[in-house]
Amino acid sequence: MSGRDLFLVGLSHRSAPIEVRERVALSGEALRDALKELVHGPGVEEALVLSTCNRVEVLVHGEQEAAARAFFTSRAADAAAHLYQKQGPEAVRHLFRVASSLDSMVVGEQQILGQVKEAYGIACAAGAAKAYLSRLCNRAFATAKKVRTQTEIGRGTTSLSQVAVELVEKIFGDLAGRAILLVGAGKMGALSAKALAGLGADRVLVANRSPERGLQLAGQVNGVFRAWEELPHLLVEADVVIVSTGADRHVITREMVQVAMRARRHRSVCLIDLSVPRNVDPACAELADVFAYDVDDLEKVVASTHEARREEASRAEAMVEAEVKAFSLDGQSRAALPVLGKLRQHAEQIARTEAARTLSHLSGLDERGRRSVEAMAQAIVNKLLHGPTAELKRAAAAGEGDLAAAAAQLFGFEVLAGEPEREAAPEAAAEPEPSPAAPAAGSLNG
Amino acid sequence: MSIAILRAATALYAVAALLYVGYFSRPRHGRLSAAGFYVLAAGFVVHALAIGAGCREYGGKEFFSLRGGVVLAAWLAAGAYLVLHRLYRVPSLGALVVPLVVVALIPANLIDPAHPAVPKELVRNAAFHVMAAILAVALFAIACGVAIMYLLQEREVKGKHFGALFSRLPSLDALDRLNQRLVRAGFAAFTLALLAGTINAAAVWKSAWSWDLQQVLSVGIWLLYGAMVELRHQGWHGRRYAVLTVVGFLVLIGAMGVRQAFPGATRHAGSYGVVVNGGGAQ
Repeated sequence: MSGRDLFLVGLSHRSAPIEVRERVALSGEALRDALKELVHGPGVEEALVLSTCNRVEVLVHGEQEAAARAFFTSRAADAAAHLYQKQGPEAVRHLFRVASSLDSMVVGEQQILGQVKEAYGIACAAGAAKAYLSRLCNRAFATAKKVRTQTEIGRGTTSLSQVAVELVEKIFGDLAGRAILLVGAGKMGALSAKALAGLGADRVLVANRSPERGLQLAGQVNGVFRAWEELPHLLVEADVVIVSTGADRHVITREMVQVAMRARRHRSVCLIDLSVPRNVDPACAELADVFAYDVDDLEKVVASTHEARREEASRAEAMVEAEVKAFSLDGQSRAALPVLGKLRQHAEQIARTEAARTLSHLSGLDERGRRSVEAMAQAIVNKLLHGPTAELKRAAAAGEGDLAAAAAQLFGFEVLAGEPEREAAPEAAAEPEPSPAAPAAGSLNG
Repeated sequence: MSIAILRAATALYAVAALLYVGYFSRPRHGRLSAAGFYVLAAGFVVHALAIGAGCREYGGKEFFSLRGGVVLAAWLAAGAYLVLHRLYRVPSLGALVVPLVVVALIPANLIDPAHPAVPKELVRNAAFHVMAAILAVALFAIACGVAIMYLLQEREVKGKHFGALFSRLPSLDALDRLNQRLVRAGFAAFTLALLAGTINAAAVWKSAWSWDLQQVLSVGIWLLYGAMVELRHQGWHGRRYAVLTVVGFLVLIGAMGVRQAFPGATRHAGSYGVVVNGGGAQ
């Protein structure tokens, strides 16, 4: 079929290494310029660029994808080897999957939908996204929302520090009136301490062998530095202990914890050991009211989330498939709209003229009588067109474009069959779809 | 008449129980627990009407039978849960308490209220004693349920098996505090019941303490729960406290069983009132 189609050219974490992705990634003014350049490319009607740290994709609605390919090759000569290209329903499916976070590195992550919305907002603002891409993107957003609310794909925890936060939350609720102790200056420890700060701990204590590094870390996490020798005493004070040192032996032993628990009167304590080799004696977990976890335990939670999400993903794929189909049917029934519109316009014109002529012959008719005659003319049009309208819509939805063409021929309309989108576009634009500015503003919230 | 109203209340409780259990299996649907709360509250009001109608019909005597005691205990447990939910938002506890209320009420729906031969003056004098005792038992029962939830959840969190309970129960700390408060409130109610009972005993038996089995058991349980309140004061937390709560309730149930097994050993008004040994009702 000649005419326009949707083309998608891109590269992602699956197809290209970061060295290539970072050279083609764009944002801000450069992105707007690139969009303008794209829509002026040969055979391009509309364009959209999605640029995140994991993927750069160019969507083009038009006659060919050359401009989209050039977008990549002009920026990085070796990008060509990593590009994937999709067309028509394949491209629609890809966009829907991306927006629904099915193609993400961490399946089900929430960020991507916002990023697609932002990309659409920028394309609208730059005048690069018009009727077709608006319809496509809105459908993609609706699909993503459906996937998120009707499957469990967004459930669970996918980062170690988030798992630590959830565990602490499960044990203590919030951390109001409690203290966090950070032992050692490892990067993961500082990250987790920062994540835990969200639970509202009263104090963050930092213990480190080297006071310089310890003081520096205490500054980073808004904590108080305490001498390494105080460690046994700090175990009595702190409710959550995050251990992340470079030591190759147990820094916190069972005996230390046992003594501390007695002094704590068995108030629960949570020990999170992020170091490899382990710095907390695994035997600590045997003590009552001591909740001890190591990196492996946290990793297992993350892995089980991924497992559960993979299962949900197959349900999500089926939903995406249905939406892709619905989108394409929708497009086909839109193709019949111009014929239907012209048919109705034509018939109503006749009805109005004939009613006016009849009324001019009839004198002595009051206002109510005149309205009855006009209504009768309109009713005849409605009754006559009802069957053909329904049939045309059905045929269009079933992908039988011939009937619309036959109707056009029968009534003598000039509708170019075979190029449905060219006619559909202005029709769609006339509908109250979001104006270019509206989604741009909305995407900031989304 | 009162039994018809009680059946309506039970039906409402059953609907609430279904809603709460539904919420427990699908925690994402918060509306289920919200609906459960309102249906439970409606059941509580209808239940109160049933109790009121029962008082009119039998002059309060029905609450001196085992059936009446259970009806009252179930009402108090439902009320206690409503208050707890308002204070601490623990819908998962509803999935435990409300079905128990329904199960407890089923026999009462089938048995016609008896007309126990209870003297009017006893009803008047012992009403407060009976109410306080039943309230205490209802609170201890909920505390025991909360402690079981604590132990189950503790096993999951400590054992690193983050299964179905993990996402459904409140935090361990919240359960621990709730348990403590319930034990404290139950102990207060039990203390009042014991005081009222002692005053009645002094009046009816002419002596406040007579080594009656009922008295010995009651004081034993009072000391046990008193010790729990004191231990908590001294800083007992977590697992040990939860185990103690469950053991305490088992002892309580056991004591009730002993009392039932040796009816001759007590002059107390039997299982809430069937007059066991002549005029010796407390």
